[in-house]
Amino acid sequence: MLDKNITEIKESFYSDIKSVSSIKDVEDIRIKYFSRNGLVSQLFEELKDVVKEEKPILGKKLNLLRNEVTAYFEEVKDRISSSGLNKENKLDLTLPGSEYIVGSKHILTQTLDEIKSIFKGLGFSVANGPELESDYYNFESLNFPADHPARDMQDTFFVSKDFLLRTHTTPVQIRIMEKQTPPVRAIMPGRVYRNEAVSARSYCMFHQVDGIYVDTDVTFAELKGTLVSFAKQFYGSDLKYRFRPSFFPFTEPSAEMDITCYLCHGKGCKICKNSGWLEILGCGMVDPNVFKFVNYDSERYTGYAFGMGIERIALLKYGITDIRIFFDNDLRFLKQF
Amino acid sequence: MKISLNWIKEFVDLSDISTQNIISKLTMSGLEVEDVIDQTNLYKNFIVGFVKEIEKHPNADKLTICKVFDGKDDLQVICGAANVKAGQKVVFAPIGTEIPNGKFLIKKAKIRGVESYGMICAEDELLLSNDHSGIMVLDEKLDSGKSITEALNLNDVILDIAITPNRPDALSHIGVARDLAALFDRDLKIPKIKLTESEEIIQNLAAVEISDPVNCPRYIAKVVKDVRIKESPKWLKDKLEKIGLRPRNNIVDITNLILHECGQPLHAFDLDKLNNQKIVVKSTKSETTFATLDSKERKLPLNTLMICDGKREVAIAGVMGGENSEITESTKNILIESAYFHPSSIRKTSKALGLSTDASYRFERGTDPNITKYAAERCAQLISELADGKVAKGIIDVYPKVINPKEIELRFSRTTQILGYEVIPEKIKNILSRLGLAIKVLEDDKLLVSIPTFRPDIEREIDLIEEIARINGYDNIPTVSKINITLEQKTDETEVDEKIRQTATALGFYEMINNPLQSEEDAALTGNPIKIQNPLSADMECLRTSLLSGALITISKNIRQGVKDLKLFEIGDSFTKTADGEIESFNDFNEKQNLLFVITGNTTSKTWNSEENKSDFYDLKGLVDSFLSKISLDNVLIDSYYSAANVIYDYYLTKNFKEVVLGSGGKLQNEVLKQFDINQDVYGFEFDLTALKSIESKPKSYKEPLKYPKIIRDFAFVLDKSVKYLDVKEFIKKKSSALLKVISVFDVFESESLGVDKKSLAFTLEYFDENRTLTEDEVERDFNNLIILITKEFNAQLRGK
Repeated sequence: MLDKNITEIKESFYSDIKSVSSIKDVEDIRIKYFSRNGLVSQLFEELKDVVKEEKPILGKKLNLLRNEVTAYFEEVKDRISSSGLNKENKLDLTLPGSEYIVGSKHILTQTLDEIKSIFKGLGFSVANGPELESDYYNFESLNFPADHPARDMQDTFFVSKDFLLRTHTTPVQIRIMEKQTPPVRAIMPGRVYRNEAVSARSYCMFHQVDGIYVDTDVTFAELKGTLVSFAKQFYGSDLKYRFRPSFFPFTEPSAEMDITCYLCHGKGCKICKNSGWLEILGCGMVDPNVFKFVNYDSERYTGYAFGMGIERIALLKYGITDIRIFFDNDLRFLKQF
Repeated sequence: MKISLNWIKEFVDLSDISTQNIISKLTMSGLEVEDVIDQTNLYKNFIVGFVKEIEKHPNADKLTICKVFDGKDDLQVICGAANVKAGQKVVFAPIGTEIPNGKFLIKKAKIRGVESYGMICAEDELLLSNDHSGIMVLDEKLDSGKSITEALNLNDVILDIAITPNRPDALSHIGVARDLAALFDRDLKIPKIKLTESEEIIQNLAAVEISDPVNCPRYIAKVVKDVRIKESPKWLKDKLEKIGLRPRNNIVDITNLILHECGQPLHAFDLDKLNNQKIVVKSTKSETTFATLDSKERKLPLNTLMICDGKREVAIAGVMGGENSEITESTKNILIESAYFHPSSIRKTSKALGLSTDASYRFERGTDPNITKYAAERCAQLISELADGKVAKGIIDVYPKVINPKEIELRFSRTTQILGYEVIPEKIKNILSRLGLAIKVLEDDKLLVSIPTFRPDIEREIDLIEEIARINGYDNIPTVSKINITLEQKTDETEVDEKIRQTATALGFYEMINNPLQSEEDAALTGNPIKIQNPLSADMECLRTSLLSGALITISKNIRQGVKDLKLFEIGDSFTKTADGEIESFNDFNEKQNLLFVITGNTTSKTWNSEENKSDFYDLKGLVDSFLSKISLDNVLIDSYYSAANVIYDYYLTKNFKEVVLGSGGKLQNEVLKQFDINQDVYGFEFDLTALKSIESKPKSYKEPLKYPKIIRDFAFVLDKSVKYLDVKEFIKKKSSALLKVISVFDVFESESLGVDKKSLAFTLEYFDENRTLTEDEVERDFNNLIILITKEFNAQLRGK
């Protein structure tokens, strides 16, 4: 009988102590098992009534039980009552940890990094070019007619008659093609400037990534495939897209690529001006006139080019409503990314 | 540009095609529809209301309580317009109607204590015009309760289309209709001329002379006599109002109608006000002023193309007519101008005057020189129909050098080569014909395409390929799922920048991007700045000569926001002028890439387990060294130089590789900081990244970790304060045995107790050998020898021990 009780009480003890989570629980256990009239003491009472022959064996068993459960009880009691403090030094483990400061790249750099890594995976090199450009690289070699509106003071910052702050990263396309014969496959990130009043929606400088691929047999179909692959990697594989005819002096045919508005999923909202679409980049087949400037044979080689604004992408992606915040460098902003 | 779909449908039959389909086809063919006003939907709830009786609102002077009959019931409606009267038919918006202007819903309301069950509308609330002078008063004969879409014929769809600069042909209803005809494979119907002319011969009534045929290649005049100037008929006014134009009189309205119909700007002169009944087209030879018909006196620059009569200027060619020859109520006889002006001439004038009109907008993009005759005749016809005029016989057409259609060869194979799929030849031929291009088959693979003069943008084969792609739809171009990656050499010119950014952020720095455009004062701080000729403002008139001033602006702004502990970096270009005078080549300036680190405030802030640690020069110095080591330049010999004040720094450190300065930095002068309203210490170091990148770092190679134990010894000396750490270190290095591998300072201590102008320097020396265990003896010998030598050399005293 006692033998059976020992087993039962042991099981009941372990089951009870499992759910202990406060000092009060600990006290309840103590009273239930270890007080004067507790269950363990009662077992010792029962031992008195056991027949003589069985007494030594059961007595030993009972002592083992008492030592085991008492030790375990003490351990649990300790853990509960000193929660957050270690045993020897009584450290307050709940105090905050020491501060380690790891800085961060600007959110525009991070956005560009993502774009770069996708295009590098698609076989593109990465190239740089100067921000202070000549009229020749920024306009003339890109097939802007002499009296194109972009070439006057309204849109471009000039430092002299023939030198200006580049208005796009496209001149780097010319610089690469001058240096190298096809195949040419590269993206060109960089800073560009426009003579536009500073507001929440526009800034006098911003960042772009241009891209170009020239080789034999480069087609519009490949342009579409490559840019769709980019967009799916960047914006998500379930995205819908469309290519719309547009106009740029340096590409023909030209297109703008739209993706379904990520906010309203195409239903129409404020961000997409109720169209359901967001324009993400301009692109097209390199105009044969551009090839003339770099002495490429446009019968032999064809190519595509594209360009996108990094601020716009970051604004959309992070729900930022004022472009100026990128260049305020408020640490409370920088730290968020 | 606003386009009325009903108007479009006069030229191409689209009756079986949904509005949605039309909009989507236009957008997907390059005529992007930016906004749509579907009147049927917009006005579906508005009805004709009858104002039965009115009474003054008891609690508001300007409000009226009206009893409006909506065809079934009498409703009480509060109206704020002064012109509301009993007996009027009005536009009534019942409860539940959305008002187009402002998109708000009409609800049952209590206005100053009186209930109102709807609203009587003004034109601007319906987006019919900007007029808010009073409510719209309708024809009394209209039935109450009738929908206004029916009663006022408001069943049109108005599209706002963005026309790219290469498509002047699309700047009219016929132009847009032509694209739609191609997109839906339909016929384009252009109104025929039905002209009755009088016996009087035009050449006896007027004359035209072009003295600048380059800027005015063609000038047509048509004369209509005995016209009656009056209000235009309703259909004409409606057409213009729908696309946002304000009707004036029948003559002006007709010229506007034709401009928006076929894209040809026209001008009507009062023939009797033209001296000698003569038109002369010439450019101004001196600066002069001229009063345009908007009653403004305008300054005309030299070489402005003008329309003159026998004596004086009467219009700015292609831009705006003059006050002195405009049509007035008393005008009897009219000369219609239908001309072709050279686009760049008109663009120049329009820019110089800061004046853009519907006419100049079209001329500067390129109109069709060969539609001028049609437009003049259509105008004459409409004037005879709507203003009772008599059209003089014949036409004056001065066209010295006829502009003929271009001919371009198109290869089907080239189309496939560019687009990446084959558009079948029959389809290509059909698309081109529908766009109004004449085609002739030359060979199996080749077409000869004649380009009408209304498409100045089509100049080459590639332009034709774009037309084919555009009309057949970019959606039909396949999207490849496989690309070739040729194994040409790949490079990444931004790779080093990336490594630098990673290192800088790991060192706890945040990246800034500052505007390179700054004030001359800020830019001149660090070099000879380049000025912008047309800056946005004085605080952005120069390009930065270094990254420093931008960073100081950022620090100052952050401090003002209460963020005082900053570790920031930036990578960016700086620009300096290297030659006097105008920049004419890339040799006249220097654009280089820089890297700047700035530290200010505390490097660690006070927390429960750390004391605050104010940043100092050694934080900057340590940063520079760990940075150089992290970007693998630690195995190249870079020299350090220490200098006292210059204009920027109180004291600073310079890093050189051989003769090349890689960068410098130190503690910024308070005077400089004051310029930026900063009153805490700032440390900055700026690298010339262009120079830094030009150093070839040696490739890293593996070095086995030391297998044998080190023996470490310390000593400290009391020295004169003026003795430099580096001198002692170099001395130890020179005098010690080759077994001494590392010398480092572990304590610097200054105290009166050491004596006047004395300090204590404590060193740790690490002895070891890669190939064996050292004996205590050999280390002890060297160590003791060093003590003697240092004591002697620096007049030093060994401390402690």
